[in-house]
Formats: sequence, C-alpha cells, structure tokens
Amino acid sequence: MTITQLRVQHRHRLLAWLISVVVVTFVHHVPTLLVGSALVLLVSGSGRTRLAWQALRTVGPVLLLISSGWLVMGALSGDVNAQALLLINARVALLALLTTWMVRDVNLAQALSAWPAAQRWLIIVRGQIRLFRRLASDHRLARRSRSSVRPTLRQRYLGAAAVSLAALDKAVHNAETVTQAMRSRGALHD
Amino acid sequence: MHIPDGLISPQTYLPAYAVAAPLWWWAGRRFGAQVGDAALPRLAVFTALAFLLSTLMLPLPGGTSGHALGVALLALCFGANTAFLAYTLVLLLQALVLGAGGITSLPVNSLAMGLVGAWTAVLLFRLLRGIHPAFAVIAAVWLSVMVSATLVALVLGVQPLIAQAPDGTPRYFPFGAAITLPAILIPHAVIAAAEAALTLLVWRHARRRQWLVAAQ
Repeated sequence: MTITQLRVQHRHRLLAWLISVVVVTFVHHVPTLLVGSALVLLVSGSGRTRLAWQALRTVGPVLLLISSGWLVMGALSGDVNAQALLLINARVALLALLTTWMVRDVNLAQALSAWPAAQRWLIIVRGQIRLFRRLASDHRLARRSRSSVRPTLRQRYLGAAAVSLAALDKAVHNAETVTQAMRSRGALHD
Repeated sequence: MHIPDGLISPQTYLPAYAVAAPLWWWAGRRFGAQVGDAALPRLAVFTALAFLLSTLMLPLPGGTSGHALGVALLALCFGANTAFLAYTLVLLLQALVLGAGGITSLPVNSLAMGLVGAWTAVLLFRLLRGIHPAFAVIAAVWLSVMVSATLVALVLGVQPLIAQAPDGTPRYFPFGAAITLPAILIPHAVIAAAEAALTLLVWRHARRRQWLVAAQ
C-alpha cells in the first residue's frame, strides 16, 4: 500500500467514526445497540479483548455511578425502570467501543495529512505532552533516588511546586528552541 | 467535568454546535492578532499543561468527571479568546487521542469550560485585581470553575426533560438538575480551590518570566 493510499484509508476511517458516533446517538433500540457492540468487537480483529477492556475502563466508572444511582433511586421510589438503564448503558458502551477502536486503528497524523496546519498542531502538542510526562517522570525518579526518608506532606507539596515550575521553564525553553529551529528551516513559513 | 458521548441528546449537541462553530471561527480569526509568534511556543506548552491537568479524572455521581481544567490559567496568561480556542483543541485531542469526553459532547464541553470558564476568569480578575492580584487570581479561578461546573450540571440536568421516550422514560442522561447540581458542584468546590492554588503558583511564575500575553 502506498503512503497516499494509507493516508486516504486513515481519513476514511476517521470520517466513518465521526458518522457512526452521530448515528448511534439517534438509536434508541437496545438490541440494535447491543448488536452494534458485538459487530464492533467482531470486526475489530485481534486484540478485541484489550479493546473491550480499554473501552470499559474509559466509561465503566461513569456508567457504574449512573446505574447505581438510578437503581438506588428506583428502589427508594419502588419503580426501577430497567429499560432506560439498559438503553444508556448500551449506547455509551457502543460509543466507547467505537472511539477506542478509532484511537487504536486510526493514525491521526496520517488522517490529517490533507490539512497540514492541523497535522502540525497535532504533532507539536503531542510532542509537548510527551515532553511534560518525561520531565515529570525524570524529576520524580531523581527525587526518589536522592531521598532516604519519606518526605512529609508539606515537603512533598513544596517539592512538587518547585519541580513543576522548573519543568515548566524547561518545557518553554525546549518549545522555543524547537520553534526557532523549525522556523530557521522554513517549516513555519506557510 | 467532561461530559462523555452518549449522555446528551442531539437536541442539545446540534444547537450547541450551531452556537460554537461561529465562535470558534471568530476566535480563530482573532488568534493571530492576539498571540504573537514569540508567544506561540509558550501557548503550546500551556496547552499541553492544560491537557495533562484535565487527564487526571475522577468520576463523579453527576455523570461526569472531576479534574482540574487549566482553562483559567490559559485565560489569565493568554486572554479569553485564545484560552477558548486552546481549550477546544485540548478537548478535541482528548476525544481523538484518549477517547475521553467525546465528539458529540465537544461543543457543550467547549462552551461551558472553554468559553464561559475563560471569560468568567478574565472578567473577575479585571474586576478584583484592584483589591489584590493574588486574591483576584484565586477568586477568578475558583468562580470560573464553579460557573463551568454549574453549566455542565444544568445541561445534564435538563436531558430527562428534553429527550424522553413516549412513555416518559429518559433516553439520555437520566437525572434531573436537583441531583446533578449538588453531585457536580460539591466536589468541584474542592477541586476549584486546588486549581486556584495551582494557577496562582504558575501565574506568578509566568508574570516573573514576563510570559503573560493577556493585559494585566
């Protein structure tokens, strides 16, 4: 497959996800939503257990809270409406499965290749997020390796504040350096 | 306080898209004039910071989640329009990369947190900075988070009224405002206090480094 075909394929997948998410919000038939979820799991190929688990991790806590709240309220009023509960759970679960599948199988940078500004923004922000995570992890490990006793809560707060500001300085410096390097190579001239 | 996909009805998110789209376009048009070339890398860093702050989510009984936003920080450092646009991009990225929030709930989340949150923070800061700048930051951030949380709670709370089956059962989010308001506002009162302290720390640092783009 050529790179152009690959980009088109990812763009089509992204578009299909957008359309399917909107369509699902109009469906109020529980069996259709359940069949939809089963189809997603069937078609998504290998790694479907992991896909289902990731989707569950995303919306599971929210669904659990809504469902338990609904059941408690129903029990208190003596009228538990299971249909409404099933509909909400089935719809949110299908939407989460669709989104998790998209996140797994769509390369966003490829899908956005027709829009260079959006693609560039995506790459810059992703880079910054990765950089922040790396800085935070480096500082956490450095602090741990230099402390023989567990710090008090106050020391942890003060340490976290100092580290956060140092990480912010470093991240801004890195971002400015990278931007200047990109600009000097003509990357930001369009 | 993201609303995930599937909890709000098309009767809510379609009009929200109609309201948000021209505001995104307007904010985008003003973006270049408000944020100069030199401030762009800093905006990217602060946007990434807001992204990281809002990924640390705690599910709340109101059908949403509790987390710091970072939108008030963006607004106090770069102005309300830029914060609105940057936070919309944060929400979009969260939906597309992490599957958090959602594409149908994007305009509601963006208007409640990005637009209203940012403007509340900026206007309150301008109003109170004469008393004391640090107090103004803390009050502006706390109230901005609470106002956004109230809007999110109200949007969720009206769902049973505007999207019902013929027999009256809710088709989307099932709880009314009497439940969503306390369920979302009480935890957010604490979250907002922590976010206010964090924002004050970073805002002071940004002011010392002369990173602030927004008029102080």
